[in-house]
Amino acid sequence: MTLTRRTFPGFAALFSAPLAWVLLLMVVPYAIMVSVGFWTRQFPLFHPDFQFGNYAQIFADPQYTTVILRTLKIAALVTVCALLLGYPLAYFLVFTVRSPRLRNLLYMSVIVPLWVSYLLRAYTWKIILGTDGALNSLLVSTGIVSAPLDVFLYNQTAMVVTLVYIFVPFMVMPLFTVLDNIPRRLVEASEDLGVGPFMTFWKVIFPLSLGGVVAGATMTFCLSFGDFVAPVLVGGPDGIMVANLLQTQFGAALNWPLGSALATLVLALVLILLQLSSRLDRAGRVDLS
Amino acid sequence: MSIMRRSAILALAAASLVPQALAARAAELNYLTWEGYAVDGFISKFEAASGCKVTASYVGSNDDFAAKLAAGGGVYDLISPSLDTVPMLRLAGFVAPIDTAKIEGFDGIYPEFSKESDVVADGETWAVPLIWGSVSLIYRADKFETKPDSIAVLFDPAYKGKVSLWDDKSALYWTARYLGYDNVFDLTDEQLEAVKAKLIEQKPLIRKYWASAGELTELMANQEVYVSNAWTGLTSKDVNNLKKGFEVVEFTPKEKAEGWMDSMMLVKDSPNEDCAYKFMSFMQSADGQCGLAEATGYFPVNPKAVQGCMNDALKKERQVDNVEFVKSLVMWQQPARLDKYLETWNAVKAAP
Repeated sequence: MTLTRRTFPGFAALFSAPLAWVLLLMVVPYAIMVSVGFWTRQFPLFHPDFQFGNYAQIFADPQYTTVILRTLKIAALVTVCALLLGYPLAYFLVFTVRSPRLRNLLYMSVIVPLWVSYLLRAYTWKIILGTDGALNSLLVSTGIVSAPLDVFLYNQTAMVVTLVYIFVPFMVMPLFTVLDNIPRRLVEASEDLGVGPFMTFWKVIFPLSLGGVVAGATMTFCLSFGDFVAPVLVGGPDGIMVANLLQTQFGAALNWPLGSALATLVLALVLILLQLSSRLDRAGRVDLS
Repeated sequence: MSIMRRSAILALAAASLVPQALAARAAELNYLTWEGYAVDGFISKFEAASGCKVTASYVGSNDDFAAKLAAGGGVYDLISPSLDTVPMLRLAGFVAPIDTAKIEGFDGIYPEFSKESDVVADGETWAVPLIWGSVSLIYRADKFETKPDSIAVLFDPAYKGKVSLWDDKSALYWTARYLGYDNVFDLTDEQLEAVKAKLIEQKPLIRKYWASAGELTELMANQEVYVSNAWTGLTSKDVNNLKKGFEVVEFTPKEKAEGWMDSMMLVKDSPNEDCAYKFMSFMQSADGQCGLAEATGYFPVNPKAVQGCMNDALKKERQVDNVEFVKSLVMWQQPARLDKYLETWNAVKAAP
């Protein structure tokens, strides 16, 4: 499309705000972040420069790679757990629950926690998992254990549990949508041809739902990868994730150059991941027409 | 008519906004400080007397002051870092020198603090002493057979999973003293490596590094930890006030406790300088010094100000007229290589 004199005012009215938004709040800040990554820290502050020392430090000092690998591990665990919980849930809502009202009610109950403050929901897990917490009171009062256990809180398992709880709606939403959009006649056709329920799922429903799996997994992974609250609230001494490192570099360490270099790396990692996921998504697409 | 009326309303609205904005600017004080340093008890007295509205924000460690100021100006007017952070803030250009003549009661402050070489530099005074105290160890008396007397208790496998430690570079000072180094603020590379190795070895014993006084109080009260370093006075008071059926007790280890002195610094180009000076003066008065000492359990820096508002027993407990007590403590100093220290502490936290 070429812009004619007549369409330009309309075009500008419609798109200038979003374009300015993208430019001012995304493109410019990213450019600043990437360039600060080449600056030099010099006590007590830092000064503009162009050098690769920050990147060299990130790769030379094992503390950064340790944390990046740990973050990848936690995010992957959260994604897998959220998928294992979210897929059956979405499937149940779409194919098993017959009453639309009940289905909507159950779907809303999955989504509603998103309206509650993230911090509050994470904090709640502290109350559940703590030494004096709800879970321990239950175990002690039912006689399953004689004294409260301290294995539930302040470790990586607690972080995974909390993050799965918080991000499961982001897995269920896209899955629910794709499953709900699968034409029932395809399932009926498969059954008419004498295929059993499991093979119908495996050969018909699952391939058609891959788009939702990829979308849900990508969102869950990226959100947990960038999380910094769970390590602070329910993580233990070995729970630092990459967002906490960033926080430290921009905070206590006052080393914005190193922090920017680290953030640039994290951004690159997430971009690669999104690229991979969009390829996967395209590969799994089935033409229904 | 209608246009005139509308513009009159607009003008009125605009005119009414201007003084409001001015008044809001003229009578407020944004104070970046520690938990317990801006409690209602004495702050409301200041607000009533000065007409300045105090808004307090809190830091979890001394390294947060520069970080918050670096994020942009105009947010805070007054900060209260410890002495070891005073030189750094001056060098970074975040603070303005102070006209001590404008501070009532400045002469009553212990000269050991008000004339300290980091407080007075380049011929100017950069900080107004506020309060001082120590960092010692606290433990759950009912969980220990014998009374601990050494930092070794933080490294004792018998308390695996029940140890906490302040998430702060001072973790290095504690470990260095435990390892027997006496140059804790100027450790060599080998010494720092040894400290780091010791702290990483300690990690399985740690339940949680605490980041705020409130968090440590919660960890102690909820039985998550039995021993930690703590801001002397504050945490034990807060935990014991909760009456959980157990007591936490403070002790000074044989390797010494740490001492600190917090002082008020004026943020450069603060639009509320007037309120800041009024506040600094107020904090040298009886209401200010006794109010803060009572709220925190720490020691007043102005013995003259507290003469009338503390009884003799409390004066003795809070080391009034006993600035010599400083000598029994390892007073914080800015580490010679601050960046290296922070990097080492971050490496400990990042380790598996």
